[in-house]
Amino acid sequence: MAQLVLKRAMVSITESGFRNLRFISLVTVGVFLMTISFFLTLGLLQRFDLSYLYPFQGLSVIIITLMAAVMLKERLTLQLTIGTLLISAGIVLVSLS
Amino acid sequence: MQIRPSGFGNPWLQLALSVVCVLASEFLLKRGAADVAEPNSAWSWTGVNGLASPLVWWAILLIIASFVSWLYVLRHIPLTIAFPLSRAVDILVPLGCWIFLGEFISTLRWCGIALVVIGLALVAKPIAQIEERL
Repeated sequence: MAQLVLKRAMVSITESGFRNLRFISLVTVGVFLMTISFFLTLGLLQRFDLSYLYPFQGLSVIIITLMAAVMLKERLTLQLTIGTLLISAGIVLVSLS
Repeated sequence: MQIRPSGFGNPWLQLALSVVCVLASEFLLKRGAADVAEPNSAWSWTGVNGLASPLVWWAILLIIASFVSWLYVLRHIPLTIAFPLSRAVDILVPLGCWIFLGEFISTLRWCGIALVVIGLALVAKPIAQIEERL
């Protein structure tokens, strides 16, 4: 999410330069989300193995796929559907380990 | 087609550097978090106590370096090529956990990791195309 927000911020620079409210607010939200994600990861790393936590990053791909389906009204290709299903199955296996 | 810089400015070298920085930062974060872990503390889930470890600060520096290097890469290599290649970390992190951090990885977890890696390899290119439009 943070990456997508920051990407929107970068796009807003090309539209109206650095000194606009949209750019400043998007960067603030993006950095805030990144900071929260960083500290939560740090908290989880105190309790779990990295090899256990890392595969969960695949969830971001599933979220992006869902956002594409909802926001861009995109039909999911077979490749994307199989990929996200494999990631989901993998995450389930890792969480059971 | 623009001329690609050579030497340290070579975007492929920068992509490799970005991957190495991400990899090293993950291991440093894990080591740093483990060094200062207080599982019984009510606020340890926030991770803020992790800042007490110098390794975590080194990790933050590497994250910033990988970010700068990644932005440079994107100026020269299309996201649809750079993003799938950068996902090499998905294979290297679990291998590094096993080799360098000495984590025990059960067969079930290896299978799960393998499925996630195959799934990510399948979706990397279409996801990069979607990210460009979101």
